[in-house]
Amino acid sequence: MAAVHANDLAQVVLLFERYKSPLFNFLYRLSNDYETSQDLTQTVFERLLKYRASYQLGQPFKAWIYHLARNVYTHYWHLGQKMRTTDVLEEERQGGLGSAAFTQMATLECEQALQEAMALLAPPEREILVLHRFQGFSYEEIAAMLGCTAGAAKVKAHRALKALRTIYFSEQP
Amino acid sequence: MNSIPASADCLDVADLLVDYTEGTLSPEQTSRVTAHMAHCLRCQQHVAHTCELADIMAAIRIVPPPAALDAALLAALAQETDQLKQPAGAGSEAIVVPLNPTSVHPTSSGWWLRIAASLLLLAAGMVLGNHWRPLSSATVALSTPDAQAAPRFQALVGNLTAPTLSASQRLLLVSELAAEAQTSGDPVVQALINTLNFDPNPNVRLAAGKGLYRLRADPRVAEAFVQSLTIQTDPYVQILLIELLVEMREQRAKPELERLSRRPDALPVVRQEAKAGLGQLI
Repeated sequence: MAAVHANDLAQVVLLFERYKSPLFNFLYRLSNDYETSQDLTQTVFERLLKYRASYQLGQPFKAWIYHLARNVYTHYWHLGQKMRTTDVLEEERQGGLGSAAFTQMATLECEQALQEAMALLAPPEREILVLHRFQGFSYEEIAAMLGCTAGAAKVKAHRALKALRTIYFSEQP
Repeated sequence: MNSIPASADCLDVADLLVDYTEGTLSPEQTSRVTAHMAHCLRCQQHVAHTCELADIMAAIRIVPPPAALDAALLAALAQETDQLKQPAGAGSEAIVVPLNPTSVHPTSSGWWLRIAASLLLLAAGMVLGNHWRPLSSATVALSTPDAQAAPRFQALVGNLTAPTLSASQRLLLVSELAAEAQTSGDPVVQALINTLNFDPNPNVRLAAGKGLYRLRADPRVAEAFVQSLTIQTDPYVQILLIELLVEMREQRAKPELERLSRRPDALPVVRQEAKAGLGQLI
């Protein structure tokens, strides 16, 4: 990233190759929408190009690009909130189609059910689970992103998992 | 099972259950949870559910990003690259101006900031240019017209692998020398060729390449470009050389372009550029 910071843009291709899949999956698990994730991933890299000067040398690149990705997603989510009614309809339609298409395969069915349960979590809960469970971030790394202690990050992650469990298995709270 | 009531004990161990499934509790805490679970179906169920959920989450697929994403990013990169090149055309020193627009924030007024930033870049280029000019003209005044460029040659060519001048000074020197050189037999051409081949900084090599292109009437230039392409490893310099060679319709570049388009260690963009260049040369 130091090279990109110094306007050596060809190095962006390397960063892109390394991070496109993790970032795409991160945004896919947050948004639960394939096309949206593509757009959002693209936006993240566009912002990387645009704001490369604000990257501080020595700062971990992974933390920085996830910071960009989280901002991009938050922005998208707030836009979605403004058009809430259409958004919900869209999700319902896709959920229905998705379930019908995947009924044959048990694992995919679990995954679909999981995605649907995760969609019902509050966004911060969903995010912390995606970061920790799907993206392999440690509590320390998550704490640095959220600006809290590792202990607090762990408590949040556990609470989120508990909330997800309650939804997924329709447990009594 | 869902309607099993919670006891006070359940609340006591509730916060430990996830850690319990992950095996990160202290031995004392573990035995507390185990003792409670022995007689609590509710917590047994919660632990089973947590394990199952953790398994499902661990097995979640990695979804391959769509191929269209690659194309979109390369397009955005190309656009940004063009924007970088434009101020560089007016004076190559602009590339290394240490500009840190910390005032740029991700706002909707991004366009205005971008314009402001490029104006600042240009202004900084002009200031730097004015700052350096008196120095170099003083050097020129000291020497006879014949050997005009000699001291600067020495500065530039003197020790190519461990240069005494900074990269931005070399960059300035390269563009000045190239701009002043008029005739095709100028010794500047050889100096620029050496810089293109051996300068440690890719930006200086880029400037040397651009400078040489202006002097392309000299037969050494095309030959140097072809040879240089075989030794350059910086993708930016590679792409520039390919562009220039295609522009000059240099047939001798074909074998190297062919080789480059298949080289596994070259970046995809470079291979693509080489392939496209071949297409135009045929």
